[in-house]
Amino acid sequence: MKKLMLYVVLAFVLTLAACTTEEEFNTDSSITVYTRDTTSGTRAGFMAGIGFAEAETSDSVLVEGFVIKDNTGIMTAMTTDEFGIGYVSLSSVNNTIKGLSFDGVAPTVANVINDTYGLKRPFMWMTRDAGDYPSTQVEQLVNAFVAFLGTTDAGDIIDNNGAIALPSSVTWDSIKANYPITALDNSAVTVRFGGSDSIQKVAQALTQAFTAKAGNFVAEHDHTGSGDAYKRTNDAAVKDTSVGKDVGFASRYFKDSEKVGVETTQMGQLAWDAIVAIVHLNNPLENVTAEDLKKIYEGTFMKWSDLISE
Amino acid sequence: MQHVTLIKKTKFQKNAVVDQFVKALLFSFALLASSFIFIVAGVILVKGVTPFFSDNNGLGSVNFFKFLTGNTWLIGESFHSNLYSIGFIIVSTMFIAFLSLFLSFPIGVLTALFIAKIAPKKLAELLRTVIEILASIPSIIYGLFGAGIVLKIVYDLSAMFGYQSKGGNSILSSVIVLAIMTIPTIASISEVAIRSVDKTLEHGSLALGASKMQTNFKVVLAAAKSGIFTSAILGIGRVLGEATAVSLVAGGRRSGYSFNILDTTSTLTTIMLEGMKETTGLDYDIRFSVGIILMVVILLTNLILNAVKRRVGNVNVK
Repeated sequence: MKKLMLYVVLAFVLTLAACTTEEEFNTDSSITVYTRDTTSGTRAGFMAGIGFAEAETSDSVLVEGFVIKDNTGIMTAMTTDEFGIGYVSLSSVNNTIKGLSFDGVAPTVANVINDTYGLKRPFMWMTRDAGDYPSTQVEQLVNAFVAFLGTTDAGDIIDNNGAIALPSSVTWDSIKANYPITALDNSAVTVRFGGSDSIQKVAQALTQAFTAKAGNFVAEHDHTGSGDAYKRTNDAAVKDTSVGKDVGFASRYFKDSEKVGVETTQMGQLAWDAIVAIVHLNNPLENVTAEDLKKIYEGTFMKWSDLISE
Repeated sequence: MQHVTLIKKTKFQKNAVVDQFVKALLFSFALLASSFIFIVAGVILVKGVTPFFSDNNGLGSVNFFKFLTGNTWLIGESFHSNLYSIGFIIVSTMFIAFLSLFLSFPIGVLTALFIAKIAPKKLAELLRTVIEILASIPSIIYGLFGAGIVLKIVYDLSAMFGYQSKGGNSILSSVIVLAIMTIPTIASISEVAIRSVDKTLEHGSLALGASKMQTNFKVVLAAAKSGIFTSAILGIGRVLGEATAVSLVAGGRRSGYSFNILDTTSTLTTIMLEGMKETTGLDYDIRFSVGIILMVVILLTNLILNAVKRRVGNVNVK
């Protein structure tokens, strides 16, 4: 009986001792790298932003032993894994994890809009030349849609779908009189949207709300990549084929080759997509540079001591 | 008299016609049910074999030998490369299946022995119901349980022993989740097998002077081994086929053979599942090829286990 009591007490003491949490962050531990799947738009944006474009769609250039999770998976992982590092879209960040400053700028919506936070990519739109549409109704609807993008109604929809809308002060109701086509019944009209698949969710949410305000026209979505935003609206070889589009979206700035023959009124920005590198709350790291993140993700920095100097 | 015989003859003919009709109907149902296996297998086979023989829209055909033996899921950029291989995934799938069976088989069989032979009637009834409910819980629930609790436990436990795990995502977590899923399956089937062992065998052993525990282990379990083996086969079938639950705790390893239980991993099912909804072209078709390999692995495992079961022999349990 006495021996049993002794063993029970010993087990109790041992478990108690093991249960005390380590307050000191052990910088000698390895960095556990978390990433999204290769089909993720957030991954493409992150890797492009840190200068590691080869890793956008290739797993073989990343450090060995990374963990693949989706957006919420990375968030929950950072709440338990003290030695992990990952990235999420800015709209997901909350106070259960620590968002790192990028090049000294804190990751806030204000800093994204005033263009000081660097780890972001623009959501751009491009339309066809004036007069180049299948019908005048389509052209007028597209012009109305572009105006809609600049309203607070569209801003709310964009914010609710994970991106950061540009500041605006106009409501749709105050400008809809300028677009009389929206008061007609447009259920026989089809407007074709395409381009970046990262923007697909935001684009579909926007058209879903807008068709209700513009006579219920049919919005056709076919998102195949940012490169097709220019090709399918303004490239003479593609725009008039069966895959041509009326509005194209891209999750990057348009290249100079894509601006040839395109008026400034035919393209613009609808939102920002900001990405934040996150770590566990116990991690003493506060700020990272693009260089640091690239070294972590390619495997040059393997331990936390490479990054955090005592 | 003739009138009666006439009626009997027409009734006989009518019954004969009805018999033939019902026979044909049942045959067509059986044909329909069994044709699904051929349709499914056929579609998977056709779609899965094309990456090895077609040009894949300019990327070139996938090398079958490299596909089976390589150690990186994809060398190069997605949608721009045809260098797929799953050699390391086949190995880790078998490793995880073996480990989880190693964990769940003893627990399941001993639980079954307890329920069938040792527990008092009321407790046995209760436990039987509990095990049956557990066996019917959908696997996504086990996956969520794994992602929420098992990951944290494995992370804290490994930190306590001084090892660093990747947030808990590891072979160990997958094995634990899979073991929890297969224990009810193994327990319920083994329990039926143990209960149907002939009482005279038990009584004979007790009469010869063996203790109750000796009888249980050396006579009852040995007599029920055919049924217990069947439960192991079903258990391993469930383990090899599990996708969602494992994908939430495995970590998505994309290269490298590893037998370190705290390292991340991938199984044939999780590599098919991850990224499937957003992919096209060769990346989509190659998952059918992985499906073929998975079906071959399951078939081989079943054949081997069934052969062993036949060798191990049968005791007349009725």
